Amino acid sequence: MNLDKLLETGDRCIHKEPPTCTAQCPVHLEIIDFLAEVEKSNFQNAYKLMEKKMPFHKIIGRICDHPCEAVCERNKAGGSIRISELEKAVLEYGTYKPKKVWPLPKNKGKVAIIGGGLSGLTAAVDLDKKGYTITIYEKSDRLGGRLWDFVDKGLTEALLQEEIKTVKDKKMAIQLEKPIDEVRLEALLTEYDAVYLGTATWESPLKWNSSTFQVEASTLFVGGQLVTKTESIIASASSGRRAAISIERYLSKVSLTDSREREGVFDTPLHFEISKHVALPPIEKSGEIYNPEEASAEAARCVKCQCRKCIEGCVHLRNFEMSPDAYVRQINHSERIILGTHYANKMINSCAECGLCKEECFLDISMNDIIHETRESMVERGKMPASAHDFALKDMAFSNSSRFSLVRKQPSKEESKDLFYYPLISFSDYVKGLYKGTGKTEYLFYPGCQLPASYPDDIKSIYEYLVGHIKGDVGIYLGCCGAPADWAGQQALMNENVEAIKKVWEEMERPTFILACSSCIRIFKKYLPEIAIASLWDIYVEKGLPNKDHIKTPQTLSIHDACGTRENSDLHESVRKIVAKLGYGIEELEYTKDRTKCCGYGGLVYYANRDQSNAFVNERIGESENDLLVYCAMCKDLFVSGGKRTYHLLDLLYPKDDGEAATRKMPTLSERHHNRSRVKQILLKEIWREEPEETMREDQFKLIIPDDVKQKIEDRYILMEDIQAVLQNAEENNERFCNPETGEYLARLRRDNVTFWVKYEKEENAFILKSVYSHRMEIVEE
Amino acid sequence: MKHESTDQTKWYCDKCQRELELAKVKVKYMEGNFEVDLMKCPSCNQVFIDETLALGKMKEVEEGLEDK
Repeated sequence: MNLDKLLETGDRCIHKEPPTCTAQCPVHLEIIDFLAEVEKSNFQNAYKLMEKKMPFHKIIGRICDHPCEAVCERNKAGGSIRISELEKAVLEYGTYKPKKVWPLPKNKGKVAIIGGGLSGLTAAVDLDKKGYTITIYEKSDRLGGRLWDFVDKGLTEALLQEEIKTVKDKKMAIQLEKPIDEVRLEALLTEYDAVYLGTATWESPLKWNSSTFQVEASTLFVGGQLVTKTESIIASASSGRRAAISIERYLSKVSLTDSREREGVFDTPLHFEISKHVALPPIEKSGEIYNPEEASAEAARCVKCQCRKCIEGCVHLRNFEMSPDAYVRQINHSERIILGTHYANKMINSCAECGLCKEECFLDISMNDIIHETRESMVERGKMPASAHDFALKDMAFSNSSRFSLVRKQPSKEESKDLFYYPLISFSDYVKGLYKGTGKTEYLFYPGCQLPASYPDDIKSIYEYLVGHIKGDVGIYLGCCGAPADWAGQQALMNENVEAIKKVWEEMERPTFILACSSCIRIFKKYLPEIAIASLWDIYVEKGLPNKDHIKTPQTLSIHDACGTRENSDLHESVRKIVAKLGYGIEELEYTKDRTKCCGYGGLVYYANRDQSNAFVNERIGESENDLLVYCAMCKDLFVSGGKRTYHLLDLLYPKDDGEAATRKMPTLSERHHNRSRVKQILLKEIWREEPEETMREDQFKLIIPDDVKQKIEDRYILMEDIQAVLQNAEENNERFCNPETGEYLARLRRDNVTFWVKYEKEENAFILKSVYSHRMEIVEE
Repeated sequence: MKHESTDQTKWYCDKCQRELELAKVKVKYMEGNFEVDLMKCPSCNQVFIDETLALGKMKEVEEGLEDK
């Protein structure tokens, strides 16, 4: 994994970028924090923030020309926050007696300050604080310059005098009525280590560096109105402060230019959308300044501009309180650990890899891609926790084993001859399709692994529909596309799977794959771009819906698009057309189509972190009062488990009489295996009229399983065949413990890398399960 | 990881019909190898792991090792 590139991507995230108000404030008052303190009526904390960033805060806070307000995002929704008025209120309610600061010994050098106005005084005070010996040269008989113009216009004379006194009280030399001309300046430049020129005008043109304010390569630095060329008070103060930083750097012999890009006013890369916020007008003052309640209410209008688009859409980022920049730092740390604990593992395996973050990001930062790459790196380095994805990968192996996997060409015309003689059968679209068979497989129906597991009875119907409606032979291919391996970061396994699919495709003379599962579509596009694919749902739109009695209760549904289809807008439209054709109304969710969310299965988060998966489920099902309509088997499974009425498209296309489709419990993990095997059996027997080589595995022992144990079996990812194997070993070899008081048995069996335990009681010819659990740790019995 | 279950004294090995005894048992996971005191059959060496241990301390150690 390229960690430098990773960190670069993290740095692009604008989550931490300052708001425009702070970026446009020449001294960068932390305005969001400031307003947050005012909102909470913590005036003293707000005061401290002013004191920290504002030179002569008691003065500036009262007369600042507040460039922050003009750029305030709130301006687009009711009116800018009255930041300047709030500063005045804070100066009134938050003042405290400052702690005495002990001056540093003055041994760092001599600096002359020309001009005792705001910028000069700022530079003087800043450099004095750092230990420079300061002399101020002022042409008039008093310090303060144009600040005196503000007396009775925001400032009182007493306040100004008081502030000037704080300067005078410092150990600086103050030379009043000392105008400086060019000749005198030359002398000062030799006499002092550096000179600051803060006069509003100068007799001859000077050339200075716009970020350091150094005049050419000399020891002269400039600031104030000479530089700002505006009336702005805050810009003047800022320039004095920045020139002082340059002088300090110059005299300390360090770079004048390093890391100063964001001094003064700058454009923040932050991108903020105010549109979601309701317009709120500013709070009116009832007196000269805001009273504390008014101030707090006014500050509460601040929307705290921060880019949280990805976080708002993603319950994973919210659960872990992560922004992409912070997430990237955690991954970087985790990738660099040699000895120690990889604390980020759980988080990395809790992402649904659904891609909404990238969709929401102004800069297309894809945490999905970053996290996926991290998982691949973890697998490669042997650092992926085995327990996270083991069950899903075993499930994939099952689907690609002979217990489910199947490849068949369309039954040939020759083999189907007998069907053509029965009038009723021969009129069916399916048999007509068989009659037109050419022997060349143009299409291969690939229903994936989860759809047959959830809808075992519909696969045959879909296949017959396809044969009957599509021009060209349609074969079938049962198996798993490899999505679990992809999500688990198992590149080697994924490549192996891709090669196996490619081999079948070649052997079948490169047919178009008909896919019904959103994850299959995603995987085929990502790994098998050479294979032409068609979506089953697109085909229904094009060829007409199957001849069935559709549910005719008019109802409005909200469609939850599968996250794997995010970029597939044609598919979104097809699904909506089918739903509309069936007579249902559609109400779109806020997060829909290319902005859809994950149901909680994606990225295998369902196996790696069940709490996180539940959080996805609960958030999504709470987004609509309507019944949901999905077209991915796992979406249906999870939403129904979460208690939400949810239809799968197949529930509507192939309605059944066995109860309410929207609440029908989906099969258990074991039943999913069983159903897949059953699909293979049904197809072989009823379509290809073959006797399956492999018979369905029947349970050896009759079990009685109380509901709470059933739930444990599911929650702990234990299969019935694991339980049967434990029991078989226990019964045949007596390898078990016995509790004479309760009559219970406890037996264990190691299967592959997991030890399964079953606690049971025997009752005549049945076994009553009391509990099941497992561990991965191996116990050496010797 | 010493573990004494609350009800383990009642269990005995069904194969050997013997009571369980606390003994040092080797356990392995990933790079980790430990010896812990667990109840086992002194004759056939079957080790008794109850639900609390498997889903509690044992799982914790497994997760700790997986994150190493």
